[in-house]
Amino acid sequence: MSDQLVLPWISLSLMVLIGTAIWSWRQVLAERARNGAIVGMAISFLGLVAAGIEIERGDGRRVYEPLPFLARWCSGDPLNGLLLPLFGGLTLGMVLIAPRRKITPQWVSGLLILTASTLAAYAADNLAIFALAWSTTLIPFLDRRFFSQTEENSVPPAARIILVVSAVMLIAGVVLIAIATPGTSPGASLSMSLPRAGGEPILYAAFAFVLIAIILRKGLFPAHSWVAPSFEQGPLIPLTLLFNGHLGAFAIARLTLPLLPDVSAATLPLLGDLGLLTAAYTALLAISERKPRRLLALLAISQSSFLVAGLESSNLDAMTGALVHWQVVVVATSALTAVYVAIEARLGAPLDGKGFLGLAKGAPRLAVFFAIAGLSLVGLPLTLGFSAEDLLLHGTLETHPLLGFILPIVTALNAFNIIRLFASLFLGKPGSVAPHLSDALPRERWVLTAALLFLIIGGLFPAFFIHLPAKAAHRLTTTAKSAVESVVETVTQP
Amino acid sequence: MESLIGFIVFLPAIVCAILGLSWLLGVTLRERTVARMTSLCYSLASIGVLILFISMFRSGQHEIRLPLGNWFEVEEYRFQLLLIVDRLSMPLVALSTVLTGVIGAFSVRYLHRDPGFLRFFILLNLFGFGVLLLFTAGTFDLVIGGWELVGLSSVLLIGFFQFRDDPIRSAIRVFLTYRVCDIGLLTGVAMLHHYLGTAASDSIFTRPWPDGTSVLTGSGATVVGMLFLLGAMGKAAQVPFSGWLPRAMEGPTPSSAIFYGALSIHAGAYLLLRAQPLIQASAIVTTSVIIIGTLTAIHGTMVGRACADAKTSIGYAAMTQLGLIFVEIGLGLKWIALFHITSHAIVRTLQFLRAPSMLHDHHRIHAASGGHLGETGAHYEQLLPVGLRSWLYRLAIEQGHHDTLIERLGTNPISRLSQFFNRLETRWTDIIIGPARTGVGQLTTRTGMRALKRSAMGSINNSMERADV
Repeated sequence: MSDQLVLPWISLSLMVLIGTAIWSWRQVLAERARNGAIVGMAISFLGLVAAGIEIERGDGRRVYEPLPFLARWCSGDPLNGLLLPLFGGLTLGMVLIAPRRKITPQWVSGLLILTASTLAAYAADNLAIFALAWSTTLIPFLDRRFFSQTEENSVPPAARIILVVSAVMLIAGVVLIAIATPGTSPGASLSMSLPRAGGEPILYAAFAFVLIAIILRKGLFPAHSWVAPSFEQGPLIPLTLLFNGHLGAFAIARLTLPLLPDVSAATLPLLGDLGLLTAAYTALLAISERKPRRLLALLAISQSSFLVAGLESSNLDAMTGALVHWQVVVVATSALTAVYVAIEARLGAPLDGKGFLGLAKGAPRLAVFFAIAGLSLVGLPLTLGFSAEDLLLHGTLETHPLLGFILPIVTALNAFNIIRLFASLFLGKPGSVAPHLSDALPRERWVLTAALLFLIIGGLFPAFFIHLPAKAAHRLTTTAKSAVESVVETVTQP
Repeated sequence: MESLIGFIVFLPAIVCAILGLSWLLGVTLRERTVARMTSLCYSLASIGVLILFISMFRSGQHEIRLPLGNWFEVEEYRFQLLLIVDRLSMPLVALSTVLTGVIGAFSVRYLHRDPGFLRFFILLNLFGFGVLLLFTAGTFDLVIGGWELVGLSSVLLIGFFQFRDDPIRSAIRVFLTYRVCDIGLLTGVAMLHHYLGTAASDSIFTRPWPDGTSVLTGSGATVVGMLFLLGAMGKAAQVPFSGWLPRAMEGPTPSSAIFYGALSIHAGAYLLLRAQPLIQASAIVTTSVIIIGTLTAIHGTMVGRACADAKTSIGYAAMTQLGLIFVEIGLGLKWIALFHITSHAIVRTLQFLRAPSMLHDHHRIHAASGGHLGETGAHYEQLLPVGLRSWLYRLAIEQGHHDTLIERLGTNPISRLSQFFNRLETRWTDIIIGPARTGVGQLTTRTGMRALKRSAMGSINNSMERADV
């Protein structure tokens, strides 16, 4: 079987996205920019699905693009074969569902840049490109022209600084890894497939920088503090997409485990514990939180922190569970955000979450979408979340009994929090406006139905949705193992 | 014959899916159609159970199994789909199909023209599927699935009157109790995988129910048994997790009957009966089951005697019987416990369904007897000294200070801890991020609604259409 894709699907998809981003920026009419972006994203999504299918057929091997130049800038394996179409589809859905009053040509352009950068980071097979893509995801949040044209504020300055520091840390780490690689060509020193022998202080320093970048970007304790205020004040849809890129978790899978195996083996358990602490702490914070935007942020942080713990566990069940959970978190939190944004757009301002609003009176379908997405996030049976948590729980109990015991406790707290949020928005004595609220519009209905079908079909037939994550987890564990072996060989050679 | 089990279990799920999807797609089903679909579903399921029973009786089989393969697997870990009808599950499956059908038929009139008619039937069918899955699950992994569906449908039916605040608060409280206790079941099943590499009943027990012994013994049996007990305590409203039961009466009467009289409340006892050999393998677990059952029975009977409303009083009576069933399970009286469960479920269903007309019945009998109705019941408390009796009465009125204790020792400390960390968090983010900007404006629930009504009520729909939110 060939180790090349039939067409350079990934590069083509990214080019379409970048071209659309530039085109959108120049538009005057928001509607035109939106429609153009939908077409561009749909084309790109199809390309990414094609890439995903080819990668899936590649028997778990790494595949490259048939390009005359820069053929090795990116590669496909089961991990990004799963994430590329998932994220591409997600951003398409979010643009379709976003309230039109929030959309400007610059908003669309910013979202396209964010999408293209995240996809480039997933696909990158070169450390420099990975670091560059990581950094460019932040551009739309640093320049106020992108997301602050409408009534929403921009991301708080300190949060922007934290995100920039994470990018700087990653670049520093990458530079140190390149310096520490006894390579011949610059290409080899920046390769993401070559494990580096540990023991050298410079690699420990590089690892420390990468670790800080991951903690800041992923919002792990104590760096979780930027997420909730940003969700509260900033543009919710772009922020959800930035957070749901989970580039921090991706860096663990792509950078630390295969590239720095022996250093990772020594220090990653700390990161796993930090993920666990973050999950528990944010679930506890959410109990007394009322503001829906902050509550959504805390739920997203808490549930997504299991990704770190699962990926770090180096147990196949837990890793597979973490990757399935990744899909669930991304789709469910995006659906929750989409429903909330739709309500906010109807009511005209963010809600304070005190008391009950009874919005189900006017918008019962939005209520059902919210309930199912929320319950799926916390592992409702017959949804994909159930399989994800089942695998995570079994896997982590094997390797980290403490984590195994804490996981269901945190999930129970989060389930309580999501039901509380659902009740405060949709149930209780309706206010006078609630009966007049319009229910899900057709475009909202179709996108949310697609999201729920993903979660429910995934729950009914989980084997199909677990297949690719299991392959990816298998590859991750074998890559990490072989990397450790090769490092041991290098070190023991006279 | 095996495939009949699948037919019985999945039929309510299909009806639930049809009703739910038709609503989502905007198809309005008439009440009669919904009622007929539900009646047909449970009639067919009941006939299926009868055929199954006759077949088992004639062939002398003690167990029929329907293996459906693995739901999913990752290397050595497999989530097995195995349905079993044996001597434990047969009576409960029969009870479930018949009683759910009866409740469905009763609810057609009870909820006639109620705006939540369709929602009730969707949830009733979801519950029907959940409870049948729970009783026929051949692996404890599958038990979790049924267990959670029963819990969820129960909570959603407690909050059935969704536009009143009190039922919603009660539903949230019940959901919290369920989730806390479900931690026991989830972790217990994971521990079974940890110790034995499987959660299938036939791998854990040497022979089919009720003759088998547990493969897992010693500390493993104690750990798993205690975790299962925690899970069972939540669903069965055992002390100290019993405070949710009176709150659960906020739901419509038919749902109270099927959940807290008939089936859901017995799910905990079923779990312990299914895991009985495991429980018997540990003296600690056995003793705990007996102690908890005894305490619950005393608490239930004491508080129930001081209750003023019919449904809550029946709820406490059910709690008392559940306590006794736990004691029977702890003492190893499996058949008596099973008989107790089935007979209790039938009696309580009848009592709950009659509860709304209880006063009317009483007046009718009173009038028929010429106004000479004697006092009912033997008042055993009269045997106690007067001082102790009044002290116990106060205790019963206060529900044994149960809620106060739970609040002081459980929910309040967690809430205060959360508030403390939230304050810390706010100070910390104020320092690093800066205080929240008010430019966007917060819409408070009531004031915002009023303001919106004043300013935009007339044009809200038009403006939304223009803006195309």
